[in-house]
Parts: sequence; C-alpha cells; structure tokens
Amino acid sequence: MNLTRDRMRSIGWAAVLLTCFTFTVVLTFKVNAVKSEVRLAERQILAVKQDKLLLETEFETRANQQQLRSLNQVEFGYQAPAAGQYLEGERQLADLGKARGADAPSPIRVAKADAPSGPAALPEMVNPLTGKAMAAEPAKGGKSKPTTDATLSDRLNKVDRREVRDQ
Amino acid sequence: MTTISVSTVMSNGRGALVNVRQRSLLMAKWRVLWVVLGFAVIAFLALTRIAYLGLFEPAPSRQTYGTSLLPERGDIADRHGVPLARAFPAYSLWYNPAALGTDGPPLVRKPREVAEALVRIFPDLEVNALTARLADGRPGYLRRRILPEDANRIHGLGEPALEFPRETERFYPQGSMAAHILGFVGADGHGHVGMEQVFDDRLTDPAQRGTPAMLSIDTRVQGALEDELLRGMADANAKGAAGIVLDVETGEVMALASLPSFNPNLIDRAGEGFIFNRVTNQVYELGSTFKPITVAAAIDAGVVTDLSKRYQSNRAISIGGFELNDSHALGASLNVPEALIHSSNIVTAQIADDVGGERLNATMRALGMDKRAQIELPARGMPLWPKGKWSRITTMTVAYGHGIAVTPLHLASAYGALVNGGIWRPATLLKVEPGQAAPGVRVFKASTSARMRQLLRMIVEIGTGKKANALGYRVGGKTGSAEKPGAGGYRESSLVATFAAAFPMDQPRYVVIIMLDEPQGTVATSGQRTAAFNAAPVVGRLVPRIGPLLGIMPDNTRDVDISDLAPLVGKGKSE
Repeated sequence: MNLTRDRMRSIGWAAVLLTCFTFTVVLTFKVNAVKSEVRLAERQILAVKQDKLLLETEFETRANQQQLRSLNQVEFGYQAPAAGQYLEGERQLADLGKARGADAPSPIRVAKADAPSGPAALPEMVNPLTGKAMAAEPAKGGKSKPTTDATLSDRLNKVDRREVRDQ
Repeated sequence: MTTISVSTVMSNGRGALVNVRQRSLLMAKWRVLWVVLGFAVIAFLALTRIAYLGLFEPAPSRQTYGTSLLPERGDIADRHGVPLARAFPAYSLWYNPAALGTDGPPLVRKPREVAEALVRIFPDLEVNALTARLADGRPGYLRRRILPEDANRIHGLGEPALEFPRETERFYPQGSMAAHILGFVGADGHGHVGMEQVFDDRLTDPAQRGTPAMLSIDTRVQGALEDELLRGMADANAKGAAGIVLDVETGEVMALASLPSFNPNLIDRAGEGFIFNRVTNQVYELGSTFKPITVAAAIDAGVVTDLSKRYQSNRAISIGGFELNDSHALGASLNVPEALIHSSNIVTAQIADDVGGERLNATMRALGMDKRAQIELPARGMPLWPKGKWSRITTMTVAYGHGIAVTPLHLASAYGALVNGGIWRPATLLKVEPGQAAPGVRVFKASTSARMRQLLRMIVEIGTGKKANALGYRVGGKTGSAEKPGAGGYRESSLVATFAAAFPMDQPRYVVIIMLDEPQGTVATSGQRTAAFNAAPVVGRLVPRIGPLLGIMPDNTRDVDISDLAPLVGKGKSE
C-alpha cells in the first residue's frame, strides 16, 4: 500500500478526531451516569426526609401534652418547683457557701455504723492501657481509688442519708 | 440465482451476454446497497437511542426538594415552632379486587381467612361483615386511617388486593389541645372555626405554605392552662370553663382555652356541640372584676384623690325602684382599698356615681367594651352594651360588672391596660417580633396604673383573692361572682365565677383570666360557689406552672410596694 505523507497526515488527523470523539462520548456517558446517581441519592434523601416527617409527627403525637400529663399523674407526680427552690442571682448562691459564723451552732451530724464488708460483687475495673485491674495500678498521689463493695455501699449509704436529710 | 441466470445467458450471443451481465451486476449492487442501508438505518437508530439515553436521560423526572416536600396545606406551629397542625401523609386501607387481574378470584386465600387475619390486626372490625365485603368484589376503603405498623402487618399478609395508599390528611398531633384556636379542616378542604379559617388562603398558597404559620401561643402554657382549668372545672362541678393568658406588653395570647373542648382530628356530632368558644364568643356579666376598672377611671379622672376617704357601706342604694346591695354586711363605712378588698357593690356604685356616666362610658369605650373583641379568630361575640346616655342606675351597675356583658377576652385586654402603665392593645394570636408590638391607645395615666397594681396586689394578699397568691410570683387580681340572668331576673343559684389576675405585680408581664360557668358548691370548694373558692385557686396553681416557662422566676425578696396603702386597711372580714 502506497501511503503518501499527506495521506498519512489525513489518517492521523482522522484517528485523533475519532479518539477525541470517542473520549467525549465516553465522558458524556460517565457524566450522565453520575448525574443519575445524584438524582437517585436525591430521591433517597427525599424519601428519608418524608420518613423523618412521619416519625416526628408520630413522636409528637405519642408525646403530646395530654399524654405527658397523664403519664406524670400516674407515674411521676412531678410538681412545679416552689419559690424556695430558685436562687436570685449570685449573692444568694454565695450565701449558701458562706463559712460558719464565730458563735454559730455546729451542724447536726448523723451517727452511722459501717456496713460489714463482704466479697466484691462488682468486677473490678481494668485499665485499658495496661490491662491490669485498677486496684493493682500504682495510685497517683499514693492513694488508691475506692473499688471494693464495702466502699461502694458506703457511698450509697451516704447518698441515701443525704436524701433523707433533704426531705 | 444470479449465477444460474448468467450461465443460461452464456449460451446466447456475446453482446446480449454483456448487457445481461451488466444489468445483473447493477441489480446485485442495488440489493447490497439496500441491505447496507437497512443495516445503517438500524445502527443509526440504535446509536441515536443510546446517545439519547446517555446524553439526555429523560426517564426519572427530576423533583426538587422544594416541590416534593411542599405540603398540600401549610403547617401551623406555636411560637417555638412546635407543630400544632400538619399535613400528614397517613396510610389508608383500600381494597382493590382488580390487583390480581380481572379473571380469577381477587384474593390469594379465601375471603374468610383474610377477614380473620384483618380482624386480628383491627379487633373492632366484624368478621362476617368483612368477609361479605371482601367476597363482594367491589373496590373501596376498608379503613380510612391506619398506623404505619398496621400497614406493615397487612403487607405481611401477602394479599396484593389489600393496598395502603398514602393520603394527605390534616393532623393535629396535640389532639384536642388548643382546638378552639386552631379549628379544623372540613371535608371541603377549607378551614373552619379557628386559625385554620383565618389562614386558609395563606396555608393553601404554594408560595407561602412551605413555611409554617407561627401562632403566639406556647404549647406548654396552653397545656398547663387546660390542665388546671379542667381540674378547677371538675372540683367545682362547673358546666364549662374559659381561660386566657395574655402578654400585657404586646397583646400576644400565650394560651386560650374553652372547655369542654373538641378533637379536631375527629369532628363528630358529640364534638360539634363544643366548638363554641367561651373566651371570644360568649358574653357574660363578669361582675366584680369590673370594680378595679371603675376605681381606675375615678382615680384617672381625679374624682378619687384621697384613697382614705370613707364611703358608707351599710345602707342599700335605691334609685328608681332598683336597690343596690352587698351580698353581706361590710361595716358602716369603707375606704377605696377596703372596698376593693371586700368587694363592696355599694361603695363602687357611689364612686361610679361621682365619676359620672359620661366619663365611665368613655373609659369603657376606650377599653373596647362596646365592640367585638379584637382578635383574629372569626367567632367573636358582640357585647351587650347599654346604649345611649347612661342613666345613674346604669352607671352604678356597670361599675360592678352588671348590666354589661362582655367576653373574657375583653376583660383580659382591659386588665392588660390596667396594669401595664395604661396602654390598651388589641389581643393577637400571631407571634409578635420584639419591638413590633401594636402601639396601642393610652386609656389610663401611668400613675393610675401604678396605683392599681398596688390595689390589685392587696386584694390577693389580704382580700378575696388569697387563694390565688402563688408564693414568690407577686400575683394581683380581683374576684368576680356574678349571677346569671335568667327568666324574670337574676338566678341566685347559677353564677359565673371569674378571677382576673396579673403577675408579677412589681412589673406586670401577663394577665390571666379564669372563668367558671355555673360552678357548684362542692367539698373541694368548701361548699362555696364564689370565685374566691373556685377560680382563684386555679390561678394559684396555674401561675407557678407557667411562670418559669414564661421567664418569670419566683422571688420572695421582691414585691410591689404597698406600704403607703397598708395602713388604710383594717384587718376586717373578707368575702
């Protein structure tokens, strides 16, 4: 086959053109494919938003004021806080933490007996870094953290007593 | 075929042979051309189709969020955006016998089995009726509104004939709460009664329905008001009750309730009777709650300059055959604070007589008592207003809330003006942005308003309104127990008990009106029918519940200063 220079050039141009055209078509297809995916995602977002609306409405309905009221009447019996439960500004707050006066009576202390310490019911907490039990860890500042059952019940007792005192 | 024809021609002359050969070649070329053309057209069509599909993507029509999420009817929300009315795509249960094709049975299983399965989901359905309905083969609704989990269970039955299309319906998540404010949407698709009717155009306008219409009410306050009203109504065995909480600075209605209420989700014959709004539509003679207005008019006009001035209080006033009297003896004479604290008709009538009909009339007009109440709601009652020039007797009876009948909303707006420094503003159910409140009209001087705050506070602290004294909230107010007019005069046994209150009195922010219609004397109200024993306790319980929600914290360390009036009041017997 006799290929002249001109002919080679023409074929070359045609090949380049064809390649460009092919790439353009492939690219366009790709773009449209992505567009379709975006639209699909949009539709999914829409569906989720509608679901959200549905669930939100259902939640509002199940938690409406009348339901909450009857729930409160039957289960909790919460009441509006009284005036004494509010603090008026920083001065009143500071007043609560005031140091005892020079001749003020000493606060009443409640007598207590330590609960007998039994075996630890709760598993000891393990340090995730060292893999050792917290009690076996060298304590910071030389004091180990309370982890035994006895100290836990001790703390719970304290909380109970505080509640009783508040009432 | 061509080869055969050529071979036959070969035996003939050479010239003819060339001709035939040329013709045959031509024909063959044409045929090839047609075939190629055919293939080319098909290839072109296929490529065009591919290119069209690839390039233009016509299949899924594109929807924007805006149009898809736009409700058919806009939402209504409270001042904090809590939805009160919403377009809700609810499921309904539709029977479509043609789902499996027209030939053959419409259901996969026997109608009776399907009916039994449906009754297990909806126990209120009846098996035999439902079986007949399914066997009948007519399409139609089996149920109008079903829950999503029920739709899932029906889906689990595997019957294609049971469809659950989603239909947009108006839904009120809070049920009967604020029903009188919201109203409902009828079968015609238009709103009725409340703000649904007022907002009808706005809620259906495509340009505006995307954003919810904001109301001024606060759901939590509304819930508390309805709760306490219901309790007060039950305690006093009353026929009905009405309540309103109004912002005195802006005129915004924080809560408005009329009991008994109805459920806008389900308007039936039983509910229809309760659609009537007692707060804006029914007019009542509100009795003694008018006395502070009369006293304010007197102070404002300069008629009462000395609050220690004493008026006789033990002789009935008789004018033109009418006799004005007190319900019980209050001593020989009373001064103005004492008259309010003990709620004396005789003294108030004398003060009104000094003020004169013309001036009292002007004050009442300025407070809007002669017109329908100003609020957006469509149902507003016309007050029963004494026409023409007021005679002495009219002036005197109006002074203590008789002979004039207004709605509780009128009273709320008037009390707003009484305590907020003297500016009357129309009530509104629309949320008012800060600084956008209506300018209002000055009715009382600021000094008069300051004096009234002291007097109203005294009534609650040492007078008839003691049971409304919520600790720390500095409540002030006035009781009113008016006999209802009946055939041949007033009926002593049926009362309208009202308590008009405002809090906190050192800087009033909210007016609370509680009204009980025909309360009875019960054990819970110490056997009394008057407002001091039924309406005042409702305020006393309501204010601690709504105060913190509205930004009013209880504080025992501050109050309105009544030290200049306290010496004027003897520790007498109160109502």
